[in-house]
Amino acid sequence: MSQKISVRIDGQLCTAEAGQTIYQVAQAAGRHIPALCHMEGLSSAGSCRLCLVQVEGLGRLLPACTTPARDGMAVTTQSETLAHNRRMALELLFSERNHICAVCVSNGHCELQALACELGVTSVRFPYNYPRLPVDASHPRFVLDHNRCVLCTRCVRVCDEIEGAHVWDIAGRGIASMLVCELDRPWGEAESCTGCGKCVQVCPTGALVEKGRAVEEMTKRRGPVLHLAERKEARP
Amino acid sequence: MSRIRDLSTFNAVRTAGLAKLLPARPRIAVGMGTCGAGNGAEGVFNALADAIHARGLDVSLVRTGCFGFCAEEPLVNVWIPGMPLVILHRVRAEQTGQILDGLAAHVVPETLALCKIESWDHLTGQISYGHGFPSIPNWNEISFFQGQVKVVMRDCGLINPDDVEEYIAVGGYQALYKVLIDGMPELAIEQIKASRLRGRGGAGFSTGAKLEFLHKARGERKFLICNADEGDPGAYMNRNEIEGDPHALLEGMTIGGYLTGATQGIIYVRAEYPLAVQRLNAALATARDYGLLGKDILGRGFDFDIQLVEGAGAFVCGEETALIASLEGRAGRPRPRPPFPAERGLWGCPTDINNVETWFNIAPIIARGPAWFTEMGSNKSAGTKVISLVGKVRNTGLVEFPLGTPLAKYIYDAGGGPMPGHVVKAVQTGGPSGGCIPREMLDTPVDYETLGKLGAIMGSGGMVVMDDDNCMVDVARYFIAFTRSESCGKCTPCRVGLDKALRTLTRITRGEGREEDLAALDELGRMIQATSLCGLGQSAPNSMLTALRHFRDEFEDHIRAHRCHAGVCQDLALSPCENTCPLHMNIPRFLELYREGRLAEAFDSVIMDNPLPASTGRVCQHPCDSRCRRKGTDEAVNMREVHRVIADAVLLGDAFEESVARILARKLPATGKKIAVVGAGPTGLTAAFYLALLGHAVTVLEQRPEPGGMLRYALPEYRLPKAVLDREVEIIRRLGVGFTFDTSVGKTTTLNDLEAAYDAVFLSIGTWKESHVYVPGTELSGVWPALTFLEDVACDKPLDLGSHVVVIGGGNAAIDCARTVVRKGAAATVVYRRERKDMPAIVEEVAEAEQEGVQFRFLASPHRITGEHGTVKAIEVLKTRLGEFDASGRRRPIDTDEVRVVPCSAVILAVGEDVDRDFYAGSGLTIKESGILEADRYTLETSRHNFYAGGDLIAGASNVSNAMSYGKNAARNIDERLTGEKRFDSIMPSFAYDQTVPAPPSTARRHHATPAPAATRAQTFEEVMPALIPEEACEEAARCLRCDIREPIHAAQN
Repeated sequence: MSQKISVRIDGQLCTAEAGQTIYQVAQAAGRHIPALCHMEGLSSAGSCRLCLVQVEGLGRLLPACTTPARDGMAVTTQSETLAHNRRMALELLFSERNHICAVCVSNGHCELQALACELGVTSVRFPYNYPRLPVDASHPRFVLDHNRCVLCTRCVRVCDEIEGAHVWDIAGRGIASMLVCELDRPWGEAESCTGCGKCVQVCPTGALVEKGRAVEEMTKRRGPVLHLAERKEARP
Repeated sequence: MSRIRDLSTFNAVRTAGLAKLLPARPRIAVGMGTCGAGNGAEGVFNALADAIHARGLDVSLVRTGCFGFCAEEPLVNVWIPGMPLVILHRVRAEQTGQILDGLAAHVVPETLALCKIESWDHLTGQISYGHGFPSIPNWNEISFFQGQVKVVMRDCGLINPDDVEEYIAVGGYQALYKVLIDGMPELAIEQIKASRLRGRGGAGFSTGAKLEFLHKARGERKFLICNADEGDPGAYMNRNEIEGDPHALLEGMTIGGYLTGATQGIIYVRAEYPLAVQRLNAALATARDYGLLGKDILGRGFDFDIQLVEGAGAFVCGEETALIASLEGRAGRPRPRPPFPAERGLWGCPTDINNVETWFNIAPIIARGPAWFTEMGSNKSAGTKVISLVGKVRNTGLVEFPLGTPLAKYIYDAGGGPMPGHVVKAVQTGGPSGGCIPREMLDTPVDYETLGKLGAIMGSGGMVVMDDDNCMVDVARYFIAFTRSESCGKCTPCRVGLDKALRTLTRITRGEGREEDLAALDELGRMIQATSLCGLGQSAPNSMLTALRHFRDEFEDHIRAHRCHAGVCQDLALSPCENTCPLHMNIPRFLELYREGRLAEAFDSVIMDNPLPASTGRVCQHPCDSRCRRKGTDEAVNMREVHRVIADAVLLGDAFEESVARILARKLPATGKKIAVVGAGPTGLTAAFYLALLGHAVTVLEQRPEPGGMLRYALPEYRLPKAVLDREVEIIRRLGVGFTFDTSVGKTTTLNDLEAAYDAVFLSIGTWKESHVYVPGTELSGVWPALTFLEDVACDKPLDLGSHVVVIGGGNAAIDCARTVVRKGAAATVVYRRERKDMPAIVEEVAEAEQEGVQFRFLASPHRITGEHGTVKAIEVLKTRLGEFDASGRRRPIDTDEVRVVPCSAVILAVGEDVDRDFYAGSGLTIKESGILEADRYTLETSRHNFYAGGDLIAGASNVSNAMSYGKNAARNIDERLTGEKRFDSIMPSFAYDQTVPAPPSTARRHHATPAPAATRAQTFEEVMPALIPEEACEEAARCLRCDIREPIHAAQN
């Protein structure tokens, strides 16, 4: 029923459905585009700027996760410029807060770390900001560690869109932006939180984690979230 | 008041409005925009109202918006029936009586009159006021308004913004009526497209195309939004437009509504603009009452209403998707486009967002047609743009020129040029997202394309002018700090990248910058531009990147030399005077030591900072005066004179020997290194002094038979007695410096010889060659280059000057020549091609020359010298007129055809000096394209190993203290290179002295030495200017406000 379009991704001709984003088309074609804030099953924020791609004929780079593919579009997802920008974005994220892998509960299971490895970020040229940030361990089962937060807003979106609770949001602006629980109260005192833990499962870093787990066990389970998203989508 | 349902009621309202605008009695309108109110217009209005009431006058008194000349507020318009409208400026409440007094007699107070308007084209209608007042200039004859075309501001300052009838009287709402009657929205959209009107908010997208998108978009509800969330620092055109003419906005939007099928308009206005909000609310209410808004507009069956929403002042809400988020009650954060608002905007409905000014242009385009509009402006940018011109110009305000008008016209014509004594350095356009354009590029036309190419943007129309008091590093830091704090924080590059940029820039302004910072900032800035989500991030690095591109020197000065020449970055300077002094003398220290009666220590402080203190105490250009904070109270501290008193007291007094002994005691042990200094001018002597103190064996090679260079051979005895110079040189000799005279490098000795014999060579040759002027007749006898003339006088050579000598030039050399001529018994006339204020010579010297009888002829340039029997007889000069401002910030003199003959017996050419570059040939030294020797700005190293150069040789002709600063720097760098250690500061003395700010400060006025009477002093070569007496000097020193003392604010904050 939906219209078919053809898109060229890194030279490879792909057939896609109208309405799909560049990211989805690339993924279907087996082309990997680095991304951090984007997650299948959630709406796209387009904020981490890692999935920026070059569309032929356009001067400006576009986020693959929010830009709809159009018929005849030619997209470059890998280039030296794009890799440079992506590496720099990661360096900025690392140095913004206190990302020290060696002492992080998510060491080895962290998407930020994995992206750094993938893109060859071996050192950070910017001096770390080392802000003094709190850790909210008031919830009986989970911990929010602002030191590891990259403000991707996956937790905000999953809670709002899938769970329907909207416990999380971003307060403040600019470099002072902070993830807040309800109207900035300790997580353990939140009235709207169902304790479902979806936010923990979608968090790419060690910012939202389960208590009582060792570093080795700190894997995240994305399956249920994706499944719920698919079922929600299928509902009339 | 009646609801307008048809043409007859419309015309009736119009007639009623005209009767208010041009009543049968005098009408006084007070400019009551925010700018007027801030300057006291409220008081003026009340005073007028009271006086009119008290006197029982039959006068109509109304409030209007701002006419644009904000610097001259409060502006008051006075109209007497049959006469032109007269605009009075800077009116004070107590002057209102004066205004009312003349009304009956049909006179206005001319001292208050700024300009008059005889008739006014409101574009939608014409108003004829009347003729008269011949002595008052027309509005477009005064420089601020000259060339301005008021399209957007067509009604501002002339009509009462709270009275819709006045707006209709000048043709308002006719364009709306027209489109409603025509009933062909597509055709009207075509007209707007054809007008090439582009979005005035900054992005510059075609307005017609946007309207067409919305017209074609499918949707039950469509929205029109006016973005009145003007948030750029220094930009306030939208505020004044709304305050002055709110109905123009409503009409534009209502037309837009009809053309696109939108039924709802929203004005998103800054809550910080209370007056604009108030006037808009009033305008909305009256428009609804008159049937101009709401149901069945103008009886034509069209429904459209406008709602006012006050924004909370977030800069990012200028971004349309963030603005929509804010309207929907969410945090003002943008989202990626596509989808564009025309597709999915407010509440998911098709939406068109335009700036205030864009909407203001709609009605005139409908009324006058697209061809009229495209006649104004440049090829791709049609129409006009209101610019808020602020910063370091004499006239600030709102100026509306056709697009494509060069920047120089804004700054020098409308703006009236820089503040006195300053030069324009750069212009920042487009607010915090814009870029800095350097002075050299002021011929740039202001339009979307050109500014974009330069890395600046048009933006919403802010234009901030910066002068030599502005530090470009600090400017970049300021704007990045602004955008950093206004960043919504959604995307990584803008949130974190701007924070990193700010940290780096702050470090640089504190003198903690590193060489690699500049490349890192450039890379980071480009990344933020390329990858940020919305316009805020994409344009935020513009100001930093353009400053880096055009003012890289300033960044390097901060990083490599730890200097901020503008004196803004406080961590890099001891005090404003120290920062301005080329030698960076610790001026507050010697003033305080002298004030405390510690002469010997004051002398040590002075001479260790400046090895020629008595000479510079007489002839220095004293830039320190220009930045002295005492100028804020009365006059600058006379630092040069105190410095001279200290130097004279020791050098010419009994304490000479013991002072020499103290200096010798500071000398470091011999290093065994041999250094040659080429040239015994101030640069070379300074280098020799410090190098000898650092323990090196120094030999100075000099072409002439005695040391001192220009000080000895170019400065006349009456300014600098050579006995003073001799004492200074004596100290340098005692330090062990050897002098070899009558030696010319390139002739009697070669650079290779020097390289073989010395560990390092410092080249400090002066500018002894007179710049050539191409004037016929220079071959005649009786024509002298200035330096030759001065040297001949210094060497007592016999000269035949005749009775009248013409000196060409305006620098110190020209004045020295003229005053010398007078002392030789001839009359002197200085011919200079610019005006007196443009002369580079020291102001006091010019005044003294004049007292001594030197004549001046300004705005004249030499045409040819005529002679008889091979001898000068006369000089023909061309009258010049001043044209455009050139790169030096002065008006360029342009020759006219008017020739004047000045009979004379001799001509001295003092038009600038140059280095005799003969010795460059085969020297292995790299010469720059400009013909100047290449040397590192900071280390003074040339392209040849162990060869350093400084002074005029690399900087061009300059002045004594500048030249000496090169010698000081060279000594520091040569020593560091030869010994591998930073030893320079170890030879410097330190003193314990009072560190409290004088409270209260001394009330004494500046002390000036009084020169001998002109008549007697002009007869001899005796020194003209006596020193201050010690008591005066001590009082003068006590006038210092001690800017060097920092209150412990820093400590408390950290």
